[in-house]
Amino acid sequence: MDWLPDAAIWFWVPLCLIPLGGWITISGKSRKRGLLLSSLGLILVMASSWTVPESDSSASGHLLLTILGPSLLLVYGLYGMVFGGNVPVGRLDDSSRWSGFVAVLASLAIFSAMHWANYTPIWRGQVNPYWLVFFPTFLLFSTSITSLASIALVGYGNERSSEATKMAMLSVTLSGIALSAMLFDGSSTSAEEFRGHFWMTVADLLGTVIGIIFAITAFAVVIWMYERNLAQPKSSPPPTEKEIKHVVELSEKHIGGEE
Amino acid sequence: MQNSKASWKLLVLAGVLPILVLATINLSLGDDFESETFKRFGNALLTSYIIMGTLLLGNLFFYANSRHRPAAPFVGMIVAIGIGLSLGWVLISYDDLLLEANGSLRAQALSNIVHFLVIATAMLLGSILAIGATFAAITGRPRRVLFREEE
Repeated sequence: MDWLPDAAIWFWVPLCLIPLGGWITISGKSRKRGLLLSSLGLILVMASSWTVPESDSSASGHLLLTILGPSLLLVYGLYGMVFGGNVPVGRLDDSSRWSGFVAVLASLAIFSAMHWANYTPIWRGQVNPYWLVFFPTFLLFSTSITSLASIALVGYGNERSSEATKMAMLSVTLSGIALSAMLFDGSSTSAEEFRGHFWMTVADLLGTVIGIIFAITAFAVVIWMYERNLAQPKSSPPPTEKEIKHVVELSEKHIGGEE
Repeated sequence: MQNSKASWKLLVLAGVLPILVLATINLSLGDDFESETFKRFGNALLTSYIIMGTLLLGNLFFYANSRHRPAAPFVGMIVAIGIGLSLGWVLISYDDLLLEANGSLRAQALSNIVHFLVIATAMLLGSILAIGATFAAITGRPRRVLFREEE
């Protein structure tokens, strides 16, 4: 257990720097310093597989590093697709829409290859345990949110059925990838193993979403109780005769005209 | 706002339905869920509650700098997080209700935090994909002519 102080220094302290940087950024005191702190924390967490390989927690840093490439490709692709379309400001050229689409497809293909081809993140000679948490969660959550977006487009938008259809197709595609993982063995994970992890993913997703809702509710209740117990602001006294006279004078000076 | 055809119930159903469909297929393939699933649910719930509460407490502290930083909301949030921490401590320690394949309370707590980091990353990436794809679909349509000039 000699590595515990190293794990604290090279994994847990950098992990704490990520939200700390975020808080400094929102405080508005020094945005650059906050972003720098968060970035430094994230880089050190991702490097933890080299700095503290003995710690089990470093497997999560290893996973974040492994998925960095396809994640950046996904963000780049979506940026190109959004700003290559009809946007009033910052429009890119038309080709960026297609290149963005290809980048998004390539990113999803790389994620799939990490499951079915020999690109699975390997940690200590075995499949990174957090990959089996990340991949099903990503697929399930994306499927759910794209389906929600599809219905929201039809429900709240005006003549948005073609866009809603595209979102529904994306949801079905992502469901198809999840279903394929349930039916066909991956390079290092069997279909049966994936199905076992599926239940854990559902439990994780539901638990996390409900926990976040509870925390936001507790926060709202605390703020509401504080605001409710504040003393009523004092009413200002009615205007004096002198003040009324001054206002009348000003009004007469500005309102004029003949009948 | 226009007459919306979607209620929040329909939206919730749209979000939950794909998961239910995949869960039904998974169940039909003959894989029952294990008792560990309930432990994972409990751990995920408590961890996300505590971490999200802590993040909101941090926001309250840093954002309230220009508002004379009133003490009452801080105390309230610390109590709310404290309840979550105590509940987690009791459920992990007492009769191993939430203890997974970890040897101690500390190992379980650290494992939960790392697990949350991975889940949050997956959820963030999924949200980026869904929101980005929605905007890409919206901006992909040719600009509509709203008004025609009078001839």
